[in-house]
Amino acid sequence: MTKRLQDIARRIGRPFYGNRRLIKYYWERTRRNKLAVFGLAFIAFLILLALIGPLLTLDPTSVNFEEKNLPPAGFATEKSVYNIETDDFTTTEVFGIWKHPLGTDSKGRDMLAMIVSGARISLLVGLIATGIAIILGTIIGVLSAYLGGWADNVLMRFTDIMMTFPFFLLLVLIVFIFGPSLAFIVLVIGLTGWTGTARLIRSEALSLRTREFVIAAKALGASDSRVIFRHLIPNVISLIIVIATLSIPGVILAEAALSFIGLGDPIMASWGIILEAGQHSLDTSWWIAVEPGIMLFLTVLAFNFLGDGLRDAFDPKSNV
Amino acid sequence: MKKSWLRDYIIKRLFYSVIIAWGILTITFVLVRAGPTSPADKYLANIAASGQDVSQVIASVEARYGVDKPILEQYADYMVNLFHGNWGWSFSTSMPVTELIKSHWIYSFQLILLSSLFAAILGILIGIYSAVKQYTKTDYIATFLSFIGISIPNFWLGVMLILVFSVKLGLFKTYYDTTLPLFSLANLHALILPIITLGTGMLAGYVRYTRSAMLDNLRKGFVTTARAKGLPERTVIGKHVFRNALLPLVTIIMFDLGSIVFGGAYLTEIVFGIPGLGQISFNAIFANDYPVVIAVTLIGTLLVLLVNLVTDITYTYLDPRIRYD
Repeated sequence: MTKRLQDIARRIGRPFYGNRRLIKYYWERTRRNKLAVFGLAFIAFLILLALIGPLLTLDPTSVNFEEKNLPPAGFATEKSVYNIETDDFTTTEVFGIWKHPLGTDSKGRDMLAMIVSGARISLLVGLIATGIAIILGTIIGVLSAYLGGWADNVLMRFTDIMMTFPFFLLLVLIVFIFGPSLAFIVLVIGLTGWTGTARLIRSEALSLRTREFVIAAKALGASDSRVIFRHLIPNVISLIIVIATLSIPGVILAEAALSFIGLGDPIMASWGIILEAGQHSLDTSWWIAVEPGIMLFLTVLAFNFLGDGLRDAFDPKSNV
Repeated sequence: MKKSWLRDYIIKRLFYSVIIAWGILTITFVLVRAGPTSPADKYLANIAASGQDVSQVIASVEARYGVDKPILEQYADYMVNLFHGNWGWSFSTSMPVTELIKSHWIYSFQLILLSSLFAAILGILIGIYSAVKQYTKTDYIATFLSFIGISIPNFWLGVMLILVFSVKLGLFKTYYDTTLPLFSLANLHALILPIITLGTGMLAGYVRYTRSAMLDNLRKGFVTTARAKGLPERTVIGKHVFRNALLPLVTIIMFDLGSIVFGGAYLTEIVFGIPGLGQISFNAIFANDYPVVIAVTLIGTLLVLLVNLVTDITYTYLDPRIRYD
């Protein structure tokens, strides 16, 4: 009898990533959503771009003032040049060249190369900061639900405080005071962004805690850590995946917004940094602000599509 | 009598709110005062050039603003002053913090109010239409566009709007003129792009929430009953479905009001140079103007807490079944 109960508890508590059939089922459900597939494809493309792109493009840091402010290939722009003899401005047309398919910035750096290396930085920021936030949020949420009592109370009041804090102002404040290094920015976003996750995981874990398989596991003498790691966390993993997918774009945007107001890491040319430089030269070279913005927008869109698709796939009540 | 539990609940919530606000105030205070910067920093370049003794000037500036005392004493002073309604003195603008905030909050308020109205009205209408016409072309287009709306970074949208409508087409001037009255035609004109910038994300969110809330209710039994009674479709949608969809919508809209104050509105004010609280707190952070930073953070916090409380109370009137313990 005990053996049988143990068996049931093990089977139900089995994480879905260990179950091929379940993964296939979720994949089938996700695949039916065309937008989610587009999102996944774009994210895969982006990761590939970040991994091997920099090997294929020009050097994003090489400055060449001969070729500064070139428009993207196929576009033309007007350039005013001061002529000292006639004491007048002559306007010439400048055409984009295929050597710089996306044009160049005010220092003649290749925009394509900058965008590609920016993808690496922005994606890393999104993944690492989200990872920190999700892990913290899960730990706090599960602990809060499992321990209950005063520990739950203290953790949740702390979460309330963090949630009420004007998030972006806090970010700006900390980064301004302690200096804008990329590693620090990632850490701060991660350490402040866990509140929503903690709340969701807590409420999910609270309802799981009273379910039969958890009670059965406890009755069989499973230790706290076993219940948490074998039974609670595997059952919230699909929720965690959805939250993570939907919070990556927010993190990428937070870093971009910080860079946009001048608090980015000047050494790491993320998309936000390029965009910040571009907004000051809108009237002469519009593409510098347009291109990183389009990439930001598409990335956020792709993660939103995928996250939405995954949520529908994991939710047995919804019928896509 | 029936609502007496509500009074107890409000008192309890107010008590919690005070504690949360105090916690945030303390964290902000420690952050800004424990940081390695000093209000004397801005004088340093000039002092070095004039050949004065740097350490002496720093000491006198810090003594003037009271930041030379131990941090605990500063904290106690600050709290005592705060309870007397004294929010401190802004270093960078040389005026009391309360004066500074009094003369600037209205611009943020105007921007947020107009953007929310724009987003809520349009978003709810599109959402209702989209739900009623579920699985038609219009519905698909609305859903797709709402995805784009929530994904577009609002500061970039602002820059793009300036690029297209101001730089290329010359249709809008992008600066806000504080010498003109708030609702003057020129300023409303200058606010059109900021409203679109701030409102687009909210608008898209409201379309999605309205649509899903409407769809949830459209499937319910009372809708079939209402139709079976022979009520016109207008009444069914407007009275039976929409009223029930309103509850989740109110939460979202109220929650947004609280959260956009320091997210979207902040960036929008910076992009378009609107002299609201976002702009002054931004300037204050870069000028090491601590009292302003703390004050704006506190105001933002209180606003969020207040909005959350009002939302919860509004619930009980929209849905009398709801009770809080």
